[in-house]
Amino acid sequence: MKTKLNSFVVANAAKCIGCKSCEVACFTVHNRNNHVAATVGTVTVPIIPRLYLIRSEHGTIPIQCRHCEDAPCANVCPVGAIKQEGNAIIINEKTCIGCKTCLLACPFGAIDLLPQYDDGKEVLQINLKEEEEGGLTQKARVIAYKCDLCEDIGEPACIKACPVNALTLVTPTEERKARNKEAALSLIKTING
Amino acid sequence: MSYINIDQELCTGCRRCAEVCPVDAIEGEEGKPQKINTEICIMCGQCVQKCSVYAPYFDDGITPINMKLQERGMLESVKEPLFAAYNIGQAKKVREALANPQLFKVVQCAPAVRVAIAEEFGLNLGALTPGKMAAALRRLGFNKVYDTNFGADLTIMEEGNELIKRVTEGKDLPLFTSCCPAWVKFMEQAYPELLKNLSTCKSPQQMQGAIIKTYGAKINNMDPAKIFSVSVMPCTCKPFESDRPEMMASGYKDVDVVITTRELAYLIKDKGIDFANLPDEGFDLPLGDYTGAATIFGSTGGVMEAALRTAYEIITKNPIPKIDIEFVRGGEGVRTATVQIGDLELKIAVVAGLKNVLPILEDLKKGKSDYHFIEVMACPEGCISGGGQPKVLLEEYRGIAYKNRKDAIYKHDSELKLRKSHENPDIKKLYDEFLGEPLGKQSHHLLHTKYKSRKEK
Repeated sequence: MKTKLNSFVVANAAKCIGCKSCEVACFTVHNRNNHVAATVGTVTVPIIPRLYLIRSEHGTIPIQCRHCEDAPCANVCPVGAIKQEGNAIIINEKTCIGCKTCLLACPFGAIDLLPQYDDGKEVLQINLKEEEEGGLTQKARVIAYKCDLCEDIGEPACIKACPVNALTLVTPTEERKARNKEAALSLIKTING
Repeated sequence: MSYINIDQELCTGCRRCAEVCPVDAIEGEEGKPQKINTEICIMCGQCVQKCSVYAPYFDDGITPINMKLQERGMLESVKEPLFAAYNIGQAKKVREALANPQLFKVVQCAPAVRVAIAEEFGLNLGALTPGKMAAALRRLGFNKVYDTNFGADLTIMEEGNELIKRVTEGKDLPLFTSCCPAWVKFMEQAYPELLKNLSTCKSPQQMQGAIIKTYGAKINNMDPAKIFSVSVMPCTCKPFESDRPEMMASGYKDVDVVITTRELAYLIKDKGIDFANLPDEGFDLPLGDYTGAATIFGSTGGVMEAALRTAYEIITKNPIPKIDIEFVRGGEGVRTATVQIGDLELKIAVVAGLKNVLPILEDLKKGKSDYHFIEVMACPEGCISGGGQPKVLLEEYRGIAYKNRKDAIYKHDSELKLRKSHENPDIKKLYDEFLGEPLGKQSHHLLHTKYKSRKEK
């Protein structure tokens, strides 16, 4: 049985300045297939991040997938496009049918459904068409996007890009042990005066 | 009109722009949209480079992207994301003029553009592509593809001689370079009492502009009224410079429109030109002829190095022993040195990043400065890091981008046959046929300028 819990990225609201660097970084590393290179001019598709900066009166903080152990999104996906891979929950964007069930199931709102892009162009559906000015046109393919912990590049790009180090990768088992130790040390100090 | 703006609808108030603003012109509370104090803004565009807050494409709650493109003077074909901090563009005016058969369209390109433009087409950071750039400009419809580098060689002829004159006379020292319009505006508004120390030389852009509509008009047998002169710059302050009322030495606006490196990329994409696969083409002669000394203007220390190469040879009448003056090269900050030129011990300083010049100016005000010549560039590493250059997507790319662009500039210099401004044969010809001599009457009229205080009394 797998005992290691899934990792996830979490933000510290006290540090976050709301600059969206994390969103831009997330988009950048996930769009090599759209010829996104090092500069803004190479971007020809809309920025679709997999974490979302949320602003409220109390401050700003990016929200992203928690990689739940009993992932509701994976449990409800009717086509099995969401799977456990390594220590993360991953959406297979190729097999996703855009049914939005995962979006409804996710307690964090960490999944968004938006058009798919490849080779710098919108990916179109094979059969479905829609009425537009100038007649029937093929409908764009919409898929689910969410954090994949940058499985391809080894470390989450958002963490690296944050200018104020507001983001951290939580490895729950180690985190728990570290907190146990901290609590123990604190207790010992208190008792021993 | 303010050239640099912050989109009030997009700005989240993270204030990363304020961190890079050298004159503290960005005002506002944290977490609230920021505003630019246009009185003190020097339009260096470092905020434009830094801003990471973009307009979400799928958000119905904000002004549509096509309207934002219009507000920003951008071509409607631009697909890239829009960020909160931006500069007003001029590419539309250029596209319109290019379609006008009545105009004789001339373009000049700054040295830092050729080491960065290719980045916008997916080539490596700092890819050196002068040939593809010239080819692209020709395909856009320019009748003559000239070069600001020619203007840079010309600047060295004038500024080098100005330096020699001031040092000989011991007057108004140190001499400050005046190529960077953001630095010039800063001097006018913050240190008007030191304006006499600024070189009276116009920047290469304006020298080139004045020559294009006078000597250039003559050699092309063209009515200067019909010449539409465009410059492509790494800089967001250059439009401000070209709009100065005194920049009409030719009798017309010397540079009609300035676009940035990024805007040139928009125009190339708009016309569907496959930049990466263009052949290498040359610049048009004679006003596109340049030496290595001109090309290094794009990096901090470049103007100094170019000036030293020429000043050394004019003063000593001997070839400079080592043409690569490496101690003036570097990055953000201040570099100082004493250079032995014949009997003269020339004390120099190179400053990149405007904040770094403040102690030098304060010393000078107190009479404590013993420098002869000081180069100042407002941007962190000179023009290669200008506000109009391709904007990196990730902060981690910034250092690599600047390093590669700089390496490409020095590589370009080292590969050119002629590397000293006074050896440019077309510059010699320009003096023989038209200008007479450096600092002469015609040069004074076309290539030099005056400054005014912008300080509130």
